[in-house]
Amino acid sequence: MFLKALWRSIRAEDSKLRGARVWAVFFLIPLLSAAYGTFSFCYNSATVTRDWNGLWGQHTLYYALFFFAPMAAIYAAWLWRLEHLGHNWTLVLSMPVPPLCLVLAKLAATFKLALFTQMWMWLLFFGCGKLWAGLPGVPPAACLLWALRGAVAAVPVLALQLLLSMLWRGFAPPVLLALLGGVVGFLFVSNGWGLYWPYGLLVLGMNANQGYDLLAGQAPPFAAACAGFTFLFCAAAGAWLKRRDIA
Amino acid sequence: MQNVVMTSGLCKAYGSRTAVQGLDLCVPYGSVYGFIGPNGAGKTTTMKLLLGLIHPTSGSIRLLDEELTPQSRLKILSRTGSLIESPSYYAHLTAAENLQLVAGLKGAEAKDVVRVLDIVRLTPDARRKVGQFSLGMRQRLGIAMALLGWPTLLILDEPTNGLDPAGIQEMRALLAEMPRRCGATVLISSHLLSELEQIVDHVGILNKGRLLYQGPLAGLQQHSRGDVALRLLHPALAAPVLKSAGLAGLAREERGEVVLPPLKEAFLADLVGSLAAAGAGVVGVSCRSRSLEEIFLSLTKADGETGVV
Repeated sequence: MFLKALWRSIRAEDSKLRGARVWAVFFLIPLLSAAYGTFSFCYNSATVTRDWNGLWGQHTLYYALFFFAPMAAIYAAWLWRLEHLGHNWTLVLSMPVPPLCLVLAKLAATFKLALFTQMWMWLLFFGCGKLWAGLPGVPPAACLLWALRGAVAAVPVLALQLLLSMLWRGFAPPVLLALLGGVVGFLFVSNGWGLYWPYGLLVLGMNANQGYDLLAGQAPPFAAACAGFTFLFCAAAGAWLKRRDIA
Repeated sequence: MQNVVMTSGLCKAYGSRTAVQGLDLCVPYGSVYGFIGPNGAGKTTTMKLLLGLIHPTSGSIRLLDEELTPQSRLKILSRTGSLIESPSYYAHLTAAENLQLVAGLKGAEAKDVVRVLDIVRLTPDARRKVGQFSLGMRQRLGIAMALLGWPTLLILDEPTNGLDPAGIQEMRALLAEMPRRCGATVLISSHLLSELEQIVDHVGILNKGRLLYQGPLAGLQQHSRGDVALRLLHPALAAPVLKSAGLAGLAREERGEVVLPPLKEAFLADLVGSLAAAGAGVVGVSCRSRSLEEIFLSLTKADGETGVV
């Protein structure tokens, strides 16, 4: 029963993405991030190794620090904004689906966007490496793995951003908090506390700005942290929706 | 007759402000029930309570033969269609896409979209983005969403709000044929009794969160008597009789008749006898019927508020 309702909700949220302007964000922000990263790689030859790992470090430095979390926040804020407009709250909550399904369906829809974003980011990384930086060969397989790990780490960030955007009618505040969260995430990771901060998981997962694997041997705690934060934020959102009065 | 909606002592308070108090609503199966009251009377709050969108402070709700509880709510919602306040829609999607989305959530068949588009006469605009729709078209789309999945109960909150006279006329015609076309019980709210009196068979009049009248529309007319007009040969001789009956300040003269406020039948019979005995020459007694709008106004005025009607 719950799974059926969840599937129906996921399809509904997915159809909201059709022809939406949020796809422009999906396209442009990784492009901007890739341009910064490649530019930095090309003009920092003294400090950055001239290989795919070096380029990955530069790409993900900007991407994980400034771009990915706000982009996830935009996805979440856009999807909730649809319900904040007019009286759509009454529409979605008078449907015969549990409120938690609504939250999980929005998470699924934003995850789909995040997954595509990671793929697009990786294609840009590859394209910039070959065409702009002129690197030989192909990127190591590990870079693909780190991009996929970034998608996994995006789930708790999306869950948190969905919670914030559900509570906050305004579009900008959750996005600004995400930007702040991304920067703080770097500080957490540099102090070894990356697993305890949702935005830090993104830095760890993507191995941002590092030449070695930050998560070597730490995959189970990383997965547990992702699952734990996701469960916490989704449960909080579901409980709040169940109890709130729709004014 | 069984009731599709029954509430018992339903109350909703926001801090010190009580929006709905002690509401005992009874909506019979198969009826078109007009829920009428001035703005701020508590109509929308009541409808949201019925849908479980807000939680009652006290009291109980029974819908479609089931107590409304967190456990039964989804089952009840699957048999209910609603349009609360202004219609909800996703402006970047077409009318058909909006309906497909809602049909999916309701678990309705995809072909139901075609049916409801036809009912609300939006078939030619099905492929247009809703952001380009007029208010009237959006209202019709809202009704179409409510109709998806063949609901047993339709809850429509002021569906004619913001429409021009032609739009109101069109919406009224649409709603009037709803029970016949869809077989659903309809609970519809408005702040204008005149707007609904042609299509409803039962009414509930709400003011300040309290139900002032509930029952068949015909009963509302009987419930409230009209003024009494007396045609007298010698009106001057009537004055002492009216004074002794306590009506001196309440009587007025209109077009050669003495007009009195609504009176109980026994009291009126005694008064006519006294006037005849005094030689006033009673040649005619008539009870003026009042329009439903006047009855509604008098009920809400008597409750201490004129309201916007």
